[in-house]
Amino acid sequence: MKPGYKQVKRMTAFMRLNHWVVAFSMIGAVLTGLYIGHPYYQSMIAEPAVVKYVMAWNRWIHFMIAIIFDVSSIVIAYLYFFSRFEKPYKKILPTGQNIKEFFEVLLNLITLNRRKNFDSTHSDSFNTVFFLMFHLLLAWLLLTGLQLYVHGLASGESSIGAWWPWMLHLATDWTVPVSTWMVGTTSPTPSIMDVRTVHHMTMWIVLAWVAFHIYYQVWRTIFWKEGDIGIVVSGTKFVKEEA
Amino acid sequence: MADKIEGVKKLFTSKSARVETNRGDAYYAKLFEKCQARIDELKTQQPINNRLDIGDVLETQGIERRDFLKWASAVTGMLMLPASFTPLVADAALLMNRAPVIWLELSDCAGNSEALLRSDGPKIDEIVLDIISLEFHETLQAASGHQAEKQLEDAMETFKDKYLLFVEGAIPMGNNGTFGTIGASGETMHDHLVRVAKHAAAVVAVGSCATFGGVPAAAPNPTGAVGVMDVIKGKPLINIPACPANPANMVGVIIHYILTGQVPELDSLLRPKFAFGYRIHDNCERRAHFDAGEFVEEWGDEGAKNNFCLYKVGCKGPMTFNNCSIVRYNEGVNWPVGVGRGCIGCSEPDFWDKYAYERPMADANIKAPTGGVEKTVDEFGLGLLTAAGIGIGIHAAASLVAGKKEEAGE
Ligand code: HEM
Ligand code: SF4
Repeated sequence: MKPGYKQVKRMTAFMRLNHWVVAFSMIGAVLTGLYIGHPYYQSMIAEPAVVKYVMAWNRWIHFMIAIIFDVSSIVIAYLYFFSRFEKPYKKILPTGQNIKEFFEVLLNLITLNRRKNFDSTHSDSFNTVFFLMFHLLLAWLLLTGLQLYVHGLASGESSIGAWWPWMLHLATDWTVPVSTWMVGTTSPTPSIMDVRTVHHMTMWIVLAWVAFHIYYQVWRTIFWKEGDIGIVVSGTKFVKEEA
Repeated sequence: MADKIEGVKKLFTSKSARVETNRGDAYYAKLFEKCQARIDELKTQQPINNRLDIGDVLETQGIERRDFLKWASAVTGMLMLPASFTPLVADAALLMNRAPVIWLELSDCAGNSEALLRSDGPKIDEIVLDIISLEFHETLQAASGHQAEKQLEDAMETFKDKYLLFVEGAIPMGNNGTFGTIGASGETMHDHLVRVAKHAAAVVAVGSCATFGGVPAAAPNPTGAVGVMDVIKGKPLINIPACPANPANMVGVIIHYILTGQVPELDSLLRPKFAFGYRIHDNCERRAHFDAGEFVEEWGDEGAKNNFCLYKVGCKGPMTFNNCSIVRYNEGVNWPVGVGRGCIGCSEPDFWDKYAYERPMADANIKAPTGGVEKTVDEFGLGLLTAAGIGIGIHAAASLVAGKKEEAGE
């Protein structure tokens, strides 16, 4: 450790594990999702249909990843309020202090690190709000995805019982009018196709988010010189000891 | 505001397509008795205007009683009733001429009427529809002008609160409804519909225009077309969408009505579940090729010759609910995917703009309702990503320069 620096804990082991599960799942969801939207490769051309199952595997992986996302999201939502480490909701509430911190961090980014008037030992308000955006986008992907998925359970039955499609309808049917509102229409009745369009579109917004996320973490690491990029590996970073 | 409240209400009343088909012997025994009593009562009534006897018609068309009974058992299955109901269904078909029907045509292409009339050699579904007591159908009847209006008045008066109102076509609401007027008095389609619907026992919207606005409501919807359910409130209303609606489903709804006196179970879009509780894609003969990733890449290629899945040439079966992959058209002869032409989702809202193109949704231009820029989701998304990339690039370059300056200054 560089002299004059102290090590601070920023992410628990679970948070780090979750981060990497989500990161790799996202790559898988994007690759398989794009295949579902437009099958972009062909494999085992000479094999009979029963053997290859290319689309079916893509959908299977996409849905398995979706379930991982579901579980992860529920746990993360719980931690927002009940984490014993840092409760993120406290940094989201629009209190005077949070708003001030949010804009200080934003100014830090815009002034290219000329101005840095906030405590960077903790996850700041800007960071937390930025991650909240991701969690909302992911939740929206989950909800629209589950709406698309329940179309395949038209009989109202599933291998785990009738409660499952019933619950999915209850939890996600509202995404249909909302999606139609987003896409726009001249017809008086919302269309389920809009859910698919919006699901696909949300993926691109998430990818833009990811691009900025990676850039910003690297940028912080370089300019703050506090080893921020290490947080997601070791769970800690370094800050200058107050002299 | 009102439509927003309506929208919120809709959110929480959405139902799955599930129909409980195993309600126990006691339930079906009771239902059987009820239906039997209704049929017996209808038998005592005289046929209304249509004196055609279905037995005679079937005979002249060369259809044997055995075929008729086979058809009746198929309809029984379609309505999700136990096989013991078959004789009742056959009876109900024979009694079709006891149900007075008024048929209105609004903003449309008459395709649903055509579907009934133009089948090569009518099949039993079409024959049964010939037997209904069609009291008024402006397109088909000889009377026109004031005469037709008189006939409509008569029918509405005679069968007040008893007739089934079939509506084909959308309702133009723009410009106070003056985009579509009917009859010698120039009544708007809207007023016409409202007036005739007032004393209908139930309203049946046939075809996608009458249900969801269909083609007239496609962008930019110049006439402000809407479906019947957006105009008529507080009446039993059944939607039978598709372009055209399948005669089999119209027959199913009428027989259900004659048999039970009630409308069948409906989904959240008011479509009968017995017909629209199936997703095309889940009952498609090409589904194995979909799962295998074997797709027709362009019309007439090797895949097309091998009946591969039509997803990549735009089949919207995965997003469409209808029973055509099961009952098909013209008494099971064929259906769009069967002839190698993907599904265009004609039974779904806004199908003309959002389903009816020959590529997957991901490759289609999203039409802004106001016209304007048309882009695919991926083009739009890549644009977004590029913009993010440029932003990042500028910030990175500026940071670098600023960093260098600082170092030099130190
Ligand atoms: C709970 C989470 C998710 C579920 C349940 C889900 C489900 C689905 C379903 C059912 C489809 C349509 C597949 C078909 O028709 O056979 C689909 C398509 C797709 N999904 Fe997901 N998904 C989820 C998450 C994601 C995520 C995280 C991404 C990427 C960021 C993603 C990207 C896509 C894409 C690009 C498509 C293709 C859309 C198209 O063009 O038609 N999905 N997803
Ligand atoms: S042809 Fe259409 S409905 Fe049939 S499996 Fe392919 S995508 Fe599904």
